[in-house]
Amino acid sequence: MNIVVCLKQVLDPEIPARDFKINKERREAERGSANLVTSIFCANALETALQFRDIHGGKITVLTYGTVAAEDVLRKAIALKADDAVLVLNDQSSSPDPLQVASVLAAAIKKIDAVNLILVGRESADWGAGQTGGLVAEILGLPCLAFVDHIDLVDGSLRIRRQTETGRDVYMATPPIVLTITNDDHNLPRVPKTKDVMLSSRKPITKWSLTDLGIEPTPGYLKVAELGIPEKNTMCEFVDGETLDDKVATLARKIADVIQG
Amino acid sequence: MWLMYALLVPTLAVAAYGFYHRIKPWFVGKPLDRLDRPAQRIVRLLKLGLLQQKTIRERYAGFFHQMIFWGFIVLFIATTVVLIDYDFQVPIMRGAFYLYFQSFFVDVLGLLFLVGIALAGWRRWWFRPPALVYTKEASLILALLFVIGATGFLIEGWRIAATNDPWGAWSPVGNVIAKISRPLFSEDALLILHRSFWWLHMGTTFAFLAWAPYTKMAHVLLSPANIYLGNLDPIGGSLKPVDFESSEIFGVNSLAQFTWKDLADLDACTECGRCTASCPANNSGKPLSPRDIILDLQKLSRRGEPQAPLIGATVSLSSESLWNCTTCAACVEACPVSIEQLPKIIDLRRHLVMDQAEFPEMMQDALGSLENRGHPFRGTQATRLDWVGDLDIPEWGEGQTYDVLYWVGCAGALVERNQKTVRATAQLLKTAGVRFAILGRDEKCTGDLARRIGNEFLFETVAKENIERLQSLGVTKVVTSCPHCFNTFANEYPRLGGAFEVQHHSVFLADLVRNGRLKPSRAIEETVTFHDPCYLGRHNGEYDAPRELVQISIGKDPIEMPRSRERSFCCGGGGGLSFVEEPTDQRVSHRRAAEAVESGADTVAVGCPFCMTMLEDAVNAKSGDRPVKVKDVAEILWQAVNQQA
Amino acid sequence: MQDVLCVWFGSSGFDRSAEGLLGAGQRIAATTKGKLHSLVLGKGDNGSRAAAIADSVQIADQLSLDAYSPEEALAVITSVAKSLSPGAVLFANDAYSQELAPRLAYRLGGSAIGDAADVVAEGDILKVTRSVYGGKAVAVYHLERRPSVAWIRARAQAAATPRSTQAEIKHIATSADPNAATRLLERQTEAHEGVRLEDARWIISGGRGLGGPEPFEQLKELADTIGAQVAASRAACDAGWVPPSWQVGQTGKRVAPDLYLAVAISGASQHLIGIADAKVVAAINTDQHAPIFKHCQFGIVEDYKKVVSLLKEKLQALKG
Repeated sequence: MNIVVCLKQVLDPEIPARDFKINKERREAERGSANLVTSIFCANALETALQFRDIHGGKITVLTYGTVAAEDVLRKAIALKADDAVLVLNDQSSSPDPLQVASVLAAAIKKIDAVNLILVGRESADWGAGQTGGLVAEILGLPCLAFVDHIDLVDGSLRIRRQTETGRDVYMATPPIVLTITNDDHNLPRVPKTKDVMLSSRKPITKWSLTDLGIEPTPGYLKVAELGIPEKNTMCEFVDGETLDDKVATLARKIADVIQG
Repeated sequence: MWLMYALLVPTLAVAAYGFYHRIKPWFVGKPLDRLDRPAQRIVRLLKLGLLQQKTIRERYAGFFHQMIFWGFIVLFIATTVVLIDYDFQVPIMRGAFYLYFQSFFVDVLGLLFLVGIALAGWRRWWFRPPALVYTKEASLILALLFVIGATGFLIEGWRIAATNDPWGAWSPVGNVIAKISRPLFSEDALLILHRSFWWLHMGTTFAFLAWAPYTKMAHVLLSPANIYLGNLDPIGGSLKPVDFESSEIFGVNSLAQFTWKDLADLDACTECGRCTASCPANNSGKPLSPRDIILDLQKLSRRGEPQAPLIGATVSLSSESLWNCTTCAACVEACPVSIEQLPKIIDLRRHLVMDQAEFPEMMQDALGSLENRGHPFRGTQATRLDWVGDLDIPEWGEGQTYDVLYWVGCAGALVERNQKTVRATAQLLKTAGVRFAILGRDEKCTGDLARRIGNEFLFETVAKENIERLQSLGVTKVVTSCPHCFNTFANEYPRLGGAFEVQHHSVFLADLVRNGRLKPSRAIEETVTFHDPCYLGRHNGEYDAPRELVQISIGKDPIEMPRSRERSFCCGGGGGLSFVEEPTDQRVSHRRAAEAVESGADTVAVGCPFCMTMLEDAVNAKSGDRPVKVKDVAEILWQAVNQQA
Repeated sequence: MQDVLCVWFGSSGFDRSAEGLLGAGQRIAATTKGKLHSLVLGKGDNGSRAAAIADSVQIADQLSLDAYSPEEALAVITSVAKSLSPGAVLFANDAYSQELAPRLAYRLGGSAIGDAADVVAEGDILKVTRSVYGGKAVAVYHLERRPSVAWIRARAQAAATPRSTQAEIKHIATSADPNAATRLLERQTEAHEGVRLEDARWIISGGRGLGGPEPFEQLKELADTIGAQVAASRAACDAGWVPPSWQVGQTGKRVAPDLYLAVAISGASQHLIGIADAKVVAAINTDQHAPIFKHCQFGIVEDYKKVVSLLKEKLQALKG
């Protein structure tokens, strides 16, 4: 199985809210002192691919569309033993919208050739539009299943499990297919071995420009017109009382009020 | 007589082969220089070897060991004297020396030796403390030593009785035996008894001599040797660097990957169990036993497979057991013969982390955060400057100079409770007029956590970045509120080229008080007990400064918990364990908190942000109706200095 | 002028989600002065309630949900949308809808965005408000290409006002593709008794502070006394204490209950995103500085161990 895992580099989503600043002009987050990291569902997707390869073999190519800095995301994936890495350089300054990203990824996947399985995180940790997987499938004319948390191979067909509101659906699918990956307690990203981290810097990374892919920049289809930080000033009322019993009684009354109201 | 010498030769040959057998496995180990600084090593040997400074810490065992130890030495000297006098025909056993030493003193020491053996037997067979290892070997050793001592007295007594030795009274024990025996046996019978028991005595002695090197009795020679070769640096600096350039395997998973000294440690073990008895994880019911780690490694080393994997080979070497180590070094401190259990545990962890990439998920999270965000507190909503508030503290910019860099530490800046501590410290520094600055947002973890968990690579990476940043700013002196940061600066950065003068805030503040730059204006009406942080105390030997701060602030000495100073009991938070959820009934912190609450103090003083986090919750859980507070020594001092606080 | 098409799955009937979805559709159609169309996928809803709101109702009840294929559903919606050529297509926030919406937009040459907290029409433009950057910021998107496809937090939307007249209900024929690339093999429902979390009116949720799976039993008992559902934070789910489907937050369910009681949950921003639509948030936590207290109406600073069983007694007493 030839697997492509699409990875996105994002601004560390775990920076404290107070450190989070936005640039009103550009309508995106300020980098500030925050680090750039691999978006979590992308990491889950890579882990899912690694587990699949551990059992069934195959080749994993990690692919990202980003700036030079995004090479770091690929290096980390190489440290986890991804076989190949492709960086499609984004020399535009603005962050591309899902259709622009999907067009580039789809073109790169075509160029990588003979890909059977394409894994994409279900949504990114920054904009979280949750569309890249579906759009890549549409552009390539492939089927797509979303919110997948486990993949297996049975008699040459893929056995795919995905999460829904009520539980899980299990599908049989014939590759090639695009899957968007969600998290589950079984696909928490592994940590690399130190030796592999040290070796990861030596591995060559394939770098393509849009010209290499033979495509023109796609016009965007989404416009962020406004971006702001929501004001939250809820004051919590701490229940009071002489004893624990009093306090809990007050709490119970407040809860009952909400329920009956 | 010739027969005896004829027997002595094979005895010594067997014994020598035994020692050779013990020492041979050491040679597969990697090199390490432990012959430097001979003067310091001799002093160490005198203190820990001859004076038994650590052995006597355990009262009962220390007491009988002293008896056996000195009895053994004196009897050995006496035997040598006999050898020289009688066999080499050099007349030295004469006059006053004969009477005072060779007769009286040796007799008394011999008696102490026997009593010591009896006390040891009493403990082993009657009290049966769990720290001991119960083997036939250990029992047989005691029995043989007793037989050797007892037959020695019997042959002496019967000699006195048979020869009517006029100086017999100078050998009180022998004399008593003589007095009892004389009415019971004829002179001929006494001679026969003397002769046959002499052979029994010599036979047992030879058997023991030949056998001893194969048993833990080899410690008679190997332990002093190990003490001499022990680590002379602070415990906090005893982790070895990893050679990333030329090693193929990181950390240790086979005997051959240890240093020769690590392997020598294994043979120095006397199975006394003090390490395990003092281990906080073990005390809390978790599967970690430093004693078993050493003894299991010893068994494996005798098997002669220096390349065989160690991790998981036995229960004590399982990863479950290794991940319970808080790196508190109670084991290292407790060991009377200078075995270093902790560096071996870290070596094994390094292998798990760096080579197998298998370690507890919560630790992975913490290290992942350290790598990406420069601090291990994943998901925190605090920022490094939250604690500063309205204090107006300068951030050290390029080209600026200050006397002191106040290194706040991640746990100080990012954990809400500790923000009060660092605020108090900063206010004290300001009050004393210290010209200091902080790094603010640019401060990053020192790497201690990565190092103790076992990710030496990550440690080196962050350490080098920190050193470079501080050097570019021209920092020379650092004061920190975190003993872990302190230890890293003091013991680990110098090797990486970062030599900064560093002090824990308690030491720096105590100096400010002594110099009159901080004046406590009122005594706080509280009773306080002080909990020693492992990385300030045991790892770096600083016990007095924090106590001094408490004393100054409350006008009296702090109450001491049963386990304090060198023998302090860890809060449970070291070695990355503060990031791991412990089973509720196995919490180290709860045991320590119970001890602190039982001391009766109103306040438990700490000097480490991790101790604060671990103990505050635990003290709340254990204090019942009596309110017991946990405060950093800096907070207590600030209360005493500042009327408004 | 600009018509609106609302699409939902009939399997759970005309539930709160469908109500909110049509409500939003109705309001947009009113602004654009266009028609409101609705398309029900699969069996389960006879369309009668929708028919009192929408101007047309189509039911694709031959589309089998037991052999659900997103490709098949997408084909049905595409053909209906092509025939109606609406200016906006709205979906609810469920997994199936999220999967379909962007692909539909691509097929129709439109644009899509989802997880909308609010959606309004202004002139020809659909404006979608949604939280981004893990809840740290809020963005307003302008969808400029027609049709504008959006999936919305339908449960948080006010229901539509029904008319007295009924629109015509049309059943449309679909055909399953025997060579479909994906085939549903089985559906594993989790034993999460009672109401789905997204529909729950009252939720009691536990976090990492509970320390293990056992305390969730206690929460369950407490929840049972008031008929609430039990949920959990990501930390508790990741630790394996409870199934992942219990997870509320950015990476789990987004819930909109009348009451959300957070027990031993510190309230990381990722978690808060999932409860942004809750009407009242209350918390039990030992740390009075825990971020959850900055986002709740009332709370108690205590160890949950001391509170939970006592609270159960008190609530039982209040019930009489």
